[in-house]
Amino acid sequence: MREDSLNPPSFTLLQKLIHIRWIFVLLVIAVAFIGVAMLFSAANGNFQPWASRHLARLGVGIGVMLCIALVDIRIWLKFAYLFYGFSLILLILVEVMGFIGMGAQRWLDLGYFNLQPSEIMKITLVLALARYFHGMGMEDIDRPTRLLIPLVMVGIPTVLILRQPDLGTAIMLVMASGGLFFVAGVRLWKFGALAVLGLALMPVSWQFLHSYQKRRIMTFLNPESDPLGAGYHIIQSKIALGSGGVSGRGFMQGTQGHLRFLPEMQTDFIFTMLAEEFGMIGALGLISLYILLLVYGFAIAMRSHSHFGRLVGMGVTVTFFLYVFINIAMVMGLIPVVGVPLPLISYGGTAMMTLLIGFGLLMGVWVHRDVVIGRRGGDRA
Amino acid sequence: MEGIKKQALETGRNRLLVAGMVITIAFAGIAGRLTDLAVISGGFEKRIGKVASAEISASGRADIVDRNGVLLATSLPTVSLHADPTLVIDAEEVARKVAHVLPNARTKILMRKLSSNGRFVWLARNLTPKQHHRINSLGLPGISFQSGERRVYPHGPLVSHVLGLTDVDGNGVAGLENSFDGDLRASDRPLRTSIDVRVQSILRDELIASMNEYKAIGAAGLVMDVNNGEILAMVSLPDYDPNKPSRMSFDAVFNRAAKGVYEMGSTFKLFTAAMALDSGVVDIGGGYDASKPIRISRFAISDYHAKNRWLSVPEIILHSSNIGAAKMALDVGGKTQKDYLQRFGLLHPAALEIPEVGSPLLPDAWRLISTMTISYGHGISVSPVQLASGVSALVNGGLYHPPTLLGRLNPQAAGHRGRPAHRVISKETSNQLRGLMRLVVRHGTGRRANVRGYVVGGKTGTAEKSSKHGYSTSAKLSSFVGAFPMNAPQYVVFAVLDEPIGNKNTFNYATGGWVVAPAVGRIIERMAPMVGIPPQLGQEMTTPKISTLDTLAKNKNSAVTRGTSGKRRKVFNQPEQGHAKVAEKPKWADIIARAVAVHLHHQTESEASLVLRARAVLGRAVLARKQHRKLLSTAVSLVE
Repeated sequence: MREDSLNPPSFTLLQKLIHIRWIFVLLVIAVAFIGVAMLFSAANGNFQPWASRHLARLGVGIGVMLCIALVDIRIWLKFAYLFYGFSLILLILVEVMGFIGMGAQRWLDLGYFNLQPSEIMKITLVLALARYFHGMGMEDIDRPTRLLIPLVMVGIPTVLILRQPDLGTAIMLVMASGGLFFVAGVRLWKFGALAVLGLALMPVSWQFLHSYQKRRIMTFLNPESDPLGAGYHIIQSKIALGSGGVSGRGFMQGTQGHLRFLPEMQTDFIFTMLAEEFGMIGALGLISLYILLLVYGFAIAMRSHSHFGRLVGMGVTVTFFLYVFINIAMVMGLIPVVGVPLPLISYGGTAMMTLLIGFGLLMGVWVHRDVVIGRRGGDRA
Repeated sequence: MEGIKKQALETGRNRLLVAGMVITIAFAGIAGRLTDLAVISGGFEKRIGKVASAEISASGRADIVDRNGVLLATSLPTVSLHADPTLVIDAEEVARKVAHVLPNARTKILMRKLSSNGRFVWLARNLTPKQHHRINSLGLPGISFQSGERRVYPHGPLVSHVLGLTDVDGNGVAGLENSFDGDLRASDRPLRTSIDVRVQSILRDELIASMNEYKAIGAAGLVMDVNNGEILAMVSLPDYDPNKPSRMSFDAVFNRAAKGVYEMGSTFKLFTAAMALDSGVVDIGGGYDASKPIRISRFAISDYHAKNRWLSVPEIILHSSNIGAAKMALDVGGKTQKDYLQRFGLLHPAALEIPEVGSPLLPDAWRLISTMTISYGHGISVSPVQLASGVSALVNGGLYHPPTLLGRLNPQAAGHRGRPAHRVISKETSNQLRGLMRLVVRHGTGRRANVRGYVVGGKTGTAEKSSKHGYSTSAKLSSFVGAFPMNAPQYVVFAVLDEPIGNKNTFNYATGGWVVAPAVGRIIERMAPMVGIPPQLGQEMTTPKISTLDTLAKNKNSAVTRGTSGKRRKVFNQPEQGHAKVAEKPKWADIIARAVAVHLHHQTESEASLVLRARAVLGRAVLARKQHRKLLSTAVSLVE
């Protein structure tokens, strides 16, 4: 086995399949099934309209994930910039001809389904940045000029997404990239400088926020200032969490969701439903499952022999973390309301696909953990 | 090179660890917050609500508010533009300049007005302050402003039929605006209504949803406090936006909830059961023979959910048996029936504080056939308000409170000023009725109105709409009247759909149980927490036993037999042995009943009363077995 891993290209597909971390896959399925149960409950005990489609998407997604895991990691490295360029074009297309839903222009109509290019960008940016830092030695990382290109690579999509406007996705993009910069070895003082700059720019950027975004931030600071308007969701979800208590009200017995105090609970606020129906124990249980997945992600990133693999693993893990953290912290009123779904549980196709593709890459990193990749994608440096 | 690479790997690993730690801390924060919210600080809503104070109104006409002080109608000061054409120097210039400021004005029309011969013409109503300022600064001679006010309804169509509206001159022309026109002009204090705008919104929401789902041509609904007759919500659909009176259609203005009168169908069986139980002609364990349709001259009374056997009183309500209800009403008698209906408020127009109140349609002569059809809600048309008030009296312990749209404490409330509550049925009967209504929702035609956590009771009603050509079988009026919580009723919820069409989800049924009961259930589910009744799982009430025929057979003293037309007819469902027994036992009673039935074919008013007396005697005879023969012979002689 050891010889095999030293000579990875000889891996057959079957061997690769065996190498997949099946426990990880099972964890993903387990979390998604909690999602199915919650969507079943959100529809008052009906598989239609959400739970059944969630299940179907999960099936397709797991298939895609396994396929991606089996693809040689060097292929991802080779085409990283191409994918990035492609999703950038899609983002520009949204700007030009995307259609507007719920007050934001985020989707491309592809006939059968609507595509949200900003979600694809989350993955392709990780790939592109990982390739860039992979091709750059440690000695180069200290040269500020070498950081200019990756900064632009992050900057362009962020600006495009901010224009949609989609603050949540933009924040996730910036933070996940920050994580990659950090792991790639960018000096800490540079992060400090950026933070100071950001704080200084805050009053200026306030001017550029949309009025609804300003209102959300003001509401976050004091939700009770507008209990029936912008503060409504947060107050109701806090009530739901309190109403669940330690052990919860029981499956399909939650009042906040079923009595329609929480509209659209199948999407971003589904965690409150779970916390009300299964209580603190259930909520902590779900968080534990998420932590387990994250630990796997970290372990895979750590174990990866190649810089590229480590960075991709890290990027996917951080993106996943941001989904979980931003969503849960938001519904508990720890951070302002931004539209970020709860991964694998909230109803919504694109976010689930993004995650499962990301997890596919993570699995790929694990399967190809001992592959040695040269600076330019060859076998040797 | 190797060294640098190693160092890079090392840095990468260290930094991964640091990132992991950051994430751990983040999750610790989340878990801490979760514990705090779920366990320590609990989930209590701060009891604050910012309701804009509507107590002081700056302009003339007083505001109208709901029971919690939420503004329903208010007046805003505005200015209107008029001109004296004789003082206008250049009509064209004035028209052009004014039209430039007012987007809706047309130069030509303005010019025609300005060149007319009169001394006064209106140019535009209700200018905005900005338009006012701009026209003022044009400095045109001959035109001037008149300050006035404009009625504004912040909720748009939501409360339209209750509030009504005012015309351009500020005169109330419909609804409360019309009834209290004088008061609203004279007073500065807002008129407080009994409406709860939250409940109103739920009711309208669900009615619109049902109306769209079943493609009904109209709908109406009511939520009433059973203990004082206050109406919390009253909706009639289609409705109109009182802010835009020019767009109203006649259909939208018509108030189906108060003005419209309809044959309500089976919901009336509740009243029939109540009067039968209250007057003592039958007790809750008694029953009637519903094995064959009743034929009277050219009419036939049959059952929609035919069981073709004897039915106990709970079963008559549960399966909505027309035959059973008709026989019950015959036992009660036409005069008593009329008397009860009168006291239930069903024979006179509801004393509601709006002008749009419909008068019930009653039979010209209260004949025997009327007694029978009215028992199941045909041959009498009442408004939803009347029905809801009547059902309130059924469940609240037997007291009839006149319906009101004003708060009970409001001194202007007409119903309470004029007529206090009066007793209709005994507390005991009311209790029995509660049980029957609960049975309908637990086991009968109203199952789809059941709501987890609430003890809901009710009765379905599906009436065929009458037209010039008699009754239509396709055009239906489907309704459901519900009350909750049945162990101590507080609210009655009534909803009706006009000409609903069943769809695939209801297996093409358009009956009250299929298309209206679910909506009433949802209304109750949503409104109850708002009016302070939290759901309590697992609570139930004691309901009357659904005695089937076997139990009736043992309890035959209370079983009253009824014959049919005398001819032997093949019964589709042969009664079981037990049933046959019951039918057999009081043999001579059956004979008399047959005789009575023969008489029914051609009878005069006096004959009818004679027959009824015979029937009453017959009923008592079977109840008191000891004096059987004697009483029965009396009965026979009476019929003869």
